[in-house]
Amino acid sequence: MSASPLRIVIMPPFDKEFFGVERLSIDAGNLFELIEKLDAQGPGFAKIARARVHLAVDGVLETDWTRLLADVREVIVLPRVGGG
Amino acid sequence: MNRNHVNTTINGDATQFLCDPGASLLDVLRDALHLTGSKEGCGSGDCGACTVQLDGEMVCSCLVLAAEAEGRTVATIEGVAEGSVLHPVQQKFLEHAALQCGFCTPGFIVAAKSLLDRNPNPTETEVRYWLAGNLCRCTGYDKIVRAVMDAAAELRQERTPA
Amino acid sequence: MNAPDKIETFRHIGTRPVRPDGVDKVTGKALYGTDFKAPGMLWGAILRSPHPHARILSIDTRAAEKLAGVKAVATGRDLPTLESLVMHVGEGASDIVDVSHNCLAFDKVLYEGHPVAAVAATTPELAREAAVLISVEYEVLPHVLGLDEALADDAPLIREPARGRSDEKPSNIAMDVTMGRGDVEAALSGAAAVVEGRYTMEPVHQGYIEPHACVASWNGDGQAQIWCSSQGHFMVRSLTASVLAIPQSDIRVTPLEIGGGFGGKTTVYLEPVAMILSRKSGRPVRLGMSREDVFRATGPAPGAIIDVRLGADADGTLVAAEVTFKYHSGAFAANDAGAGVSSAIGHYRIANTRVSGIEVLCNRPAAKAYRAPGAPQVNFAVESAIDELAIKLGMDPLELRMKNAAMPGDLQTSGLPWGEIGWVQCLEAAKAHPHLSAPLGPNQGRGIAGGYWGNYGGPSTVNLSVAEDGTFTVATGSPDIGGSRASMAIMAAEVLEVPYEQVRCVVADTASIGLSFVTGGSRTTFATGMATVEAAREVKRLLCERAARTWQVPAEDVEWREGNAVCTSGEKLGSKMSAGEIAGSSIHSGGPITATSALSAQGWLPGFGFHICDVEVDQETGHVSIVRYTAVQDVGRAIHADYVEGQIQGGVAQGIGWALNETYIYNGEGKLENPGFLDYRMPVTSDMPMIDTVMVEVPNPVHPYGVKGVGEVPIVPPLAAVANAVHAATGKRMRSLPMSPDKVHAALHAES
Repeated sequence: MSASPLRIVIMPPFDKEFFGVERLSIDAGNLFELIEKLDAQGPGFAKIARARVHLAVDGVLETDWTRLLADVREVIVLPRVGGG
Repeated sequence: MNRNHVNTTINGDATQFLCDPGASLLDVLRDALHLTGSKEGCGSGDCGACTVQLDGEMVCSCLVLAAEAEGRTVATIEGVAEGSVLHPVQQKFLEHAALQCGFCTPGFIVAAKSLLDRNPNPTETEVRYWLAGNLCRCTGYDKIVRAVMDAAAELRQERTPA
Repeated sequence: MNAPDKIETFRHIGTRPVRPDGVDKVTGKALYGTDFKAPGMLWGAILRSPHPHARILSIDTRAAEKLAGVKAVATGRDLPTLESLVMHVGEGASDIVDVSHNCLAFDKVLYEGHPVAAVAATTPELAREAAVLISVEYEVLPHVLGLDEALADDAPLIREPARGRSDEKPSNIAMDVTMGRGDVEAALSGAAAVVEGRYTMEPVHQGYIEPHACVASWNGDGQAQIWCSSQGHFMVRSLTASVLAIPQSDIRVTPLEIGGGFGGKTTVYLEPVAMILSRKSGRPVRLGMSREDVFRATGPAPGAIIDVRLGADADGTLVAAEVTFKYHSGAFAANDAGAGVSSAIGHYRIANTRVSGIEVLCNRPAAKAYRAPGAPQVNFAVESAIDELAIKLGMDPLELRMKNAAMPGDLQTSGLPWGEIGWVQCLEAAKAHPHLSAPLGPNQGRGIAGGYWGNYGGPSTVNLSVAEDGTFTVATGSPDIGGSRASMAIMAAEVLEVPYEQVRCVVADTASIGLSFVTGGSRTTFATGMATVEAAREVKRLLCERAARTWQVPAEDVEWREGNAVCTSGEKLGSKMSAGEIAGSSIHSGGPITATSALSAQGWLPGFGFHICDVEVDQETGHVSIVRYTAVQDVGRAIHADYVEGQIQGGVAQGIGWALNETYIYNGEGKLENPGFLDYRMPVTSDMPMIDTVMVEVPNPVHPYGVKGVGEVPIVPPLAAVANAVHAATGKRMRSLPMSPDKVHAALHAES
C-alpha cells in the first residue's frame, strides 16, 4: 500500500468519459490494483484500460503494471498514442 | 471461353502457355508460369512494378496482353542474374541499400538495366526521367539513383569515388 | 542495460553491411503477400458497396452460388455477433465489432467500397463474375464527407445507435481530447505579436506499392493457417481470432515479405473473410485487393481543419499557443486525435497552451495509421504559424525556434517532462549546415520546419540459438519492412563479437516464437533490438558457462573475447574454446544452447527532426519543384546507417508528396474519383532531388546501444518546410494542402 493516498491525475478524454473529475485520491499497492479501484469509480474503465490507457508514475511512463506504488506520489492517467 | 495457345521465349527458355484472351502478360507470368518476381502494384501501368522487357524494350507487363508475347522474347527479373552471379545493377542495389521493402525493386532493376543497355553513361537527370515510371514509396529514390549511377560506372569499368 | 558514457568504437554498430534478405529481393525470389499460393487454392473476390451510405435491405447470393466453379459465398451474416470490446493490437485501439463490420458490412454500408459479400471460385475470372451476380438491395441514405458538414445539426449520423458525448445530443464526434495549462486568452491579449490561421487538407493514403492479399486455410477441426504480409502477424492472429470468436492458438500466421505498410497494414481487412470462405469450401482461399480497392476501402490518414493561434513577446519568447483541430475519423472511430494533441506544440516551451482535437465520423473508409499518425497535420499548421510569427517579429525563424526549444526536463503538452531528447542538438546541427547559407536563384525560396514523434517500445520476443558449428540464428516476431533483420544481426554480432555473416536473422511465424507487437510505431530497432541484445548476452553467458564446466574452472574465470571463451586465471589460464567447439559438444555439456528474451520494452524516447527545403516555383504554371532538401534528425544511435538514412529519406518523400500533390478527390455522390496512381499523384524519381540526411546521435540511455525510433519522425516536418519555402519564394502563404499547381497558380494570380 502507498504511504498516503496517491494523487491521481485523469487526463482527457477519460476525465469526461468516466470520472467527471480530473483529480482523485486513491490508495493502491500496484498499478493493476489502481485500475480496479478506478473502475469502481468509473465503471467500464478497466475494460478499456489495456487498449487505451498509459500510466505515468511520478512523471515517467510505466508499462509494467505490477510496479509497486509504496513510495510513489502521483500517477497520471493518459490516452495511449499509437504509431504507424 | 476458348483460350489462346501462346508460344514465346522467356528469359531465354522456349515457353508455351494457355491464357484467356483478356489475360495480361503479368497475370500469366505470375499465375500460370509462377514467375512472381514481377509485381502488380496497380494493374494500370502507373507504378512500373510489373516492368519486363519485351523484345528488349521496357514495358509494363500489366498493359501487355499475354497473347501479344507470341513469337517474341520476354525478359523478367528472374533472368537478370546469370545463375547465382548478380548483375551489377542488382549488386549495387544491395551495396547502396537502394531497397527497403523491396517490392518495387524488380521493376526498378529491369528498368535500370534497360536504361544502361542503351545509355551506358546517363546523367543523374537522365536516370531520374528514365525511372519516373517506377514508383517507390519507401526510399525517396536517393539511394536508387546512386545505385544506378554506380552500376553504370562499373559497367563502364570505372570506379566512382566513395 | 545502460549505454556507456564514454565514446565507444563499435565493431558493427553504425556500419552498412548488406542485408541478409537482400539477394532474394533483388532477384525476385522473395515471396510477398501477393505472391503466395497454396496447393488447391481457390480465388476469392469481394463485392463492394457502390453507395457511400445505405442500409442493406437484402442480399441474394443464389445466382452466384449456382455458377459452376463457385465453391463458397459469404456475407456479414457469416461472421459471429460480437460484444463490444476495445482492443489495442495494431497502431491504436479499435472496437472488435467495428473491425468485424469493416471486413463485411452487417446491416449498413458506410463508405463507397465497403465490403458487402465475398465469393471463392476455381479461377479469378469466375470469382469476379460470381461477385457481380450477387444481388444487393440498398436503401440509399444521405451521406456526408466534409468535417463541418458532418458536425452540422442536420448531418446524417454514421453510428447506430447514434452516440455522442454523454452531456450532449448524438453526433458524429468519435473522440474529443483537450490538453494544456495556463491561461491562453490572457497571455494572447498581452502578447507583443499574435498570429492566427486556419489550415486544411484532405485525407492522404500511405501509398504502399503492394496491395493487401492473403491466403487462408481453415479446417473443420478448427485449426487454420494464414499466409499474408502485414506489419504484425501476431496482430493478424489476434484480430482474426477475435472477429471469428475462435482461440488464437488455432491460427498459425506465417509472415510473408511485405511491400510497404507505413501504418496501413496494422489491421485486417481480408483475413477473416478468406477464413470464412475457406471454412465453407474446405479449401485454401486467396483474397487480394486491386489498387482501386486499396484506395476506396483502406484507411487513409485523416484530412483536417486546424486553427492555430500563437503569441510571443517582443523578444520572441512564446507566451501562448492554441491549436484546435478536427480530423476525419471515417466510417469507424479512429485514433489520430490523441496523437495530434500530443504532437502539436510540445517541441516548444510555452507557459500557456491549449490543444484540442476531435475525430469526426463521415462516409469515408475508416482512417488508419500513417507514419506518425495525427502529427503531420497539426505540425503543418504550427510550423507555418511559427514562420509567420518570425516574420511578424522580424526575427530569424531558426533563432525563434532555438529560443523556445523544449529541452530535457521541460514539460510536454500532457504535463510529463521530456527525457533525453535531441531537439536542441538538431537545431544546432542545422544552424551549422551549409545548406542554410547556400545562394538561391530566381523564383526560389527556402523554408524550415521542425517536429517530433513520440515513438514506442512494447512487447517483443527474440530467440537466439547456436548451431553445432557455432554460427547463430536470431529469430524474431517482427516483420522486416525496411532492413530490420540486418539491424538485429548487427546488434547480436556486436554482443557476440563475431563477424556479421555468422549471425543470420529470420522472422518466425506465430507458432514458432512468442508474442511480438507490430513493426510500426518506430519500435522495432528499439524493442526487438533490446530483446535481441538480451538474448545474445544470455547466449554469451551460457557459452562461457559451458566452457567453464568443461575446464572445471569457476564461471568468473571465463571471459568472452572475439567469439571465443577464454580462461583468464588459474591452471587453465589461456585456454580457449570457440563458439563452434562449445556448441559442437553441447549435447554432452547440458544440451542445445539457446536463449529467449521476452520483454515489454520501456524507456523509449521520441525522435526530433529539423528540415531545410529549397523550392523553385514556376510563376506561369504554379508548379513547385524541390530543388534541395536537408533533413536533420536525432536518431539516438544509428545501428545500420544506410537504413536509418533510408527511413529519413522515405519519410521526407512522403511528406513532400503530401505537401504538393496527394489528396483524395470525391464527387458529389460520395464516390472517389482518383483511386489509382495516375491521379493520386505520389512523388516519382524526377520530382525529387537527392535528400541529404544529418544523423545527430543523442543516445537513449535506456537502450543498450542508445537507439531511438527513427521511422516516423521524418514525415512530420516536410509539409511546413515546403509551405514555408513556397512562401519565401512567392510571398504567398499556402494554408491548404496539397499545394498543387492549380492552387499555387491561383494564389499567384489572385488579382487577375
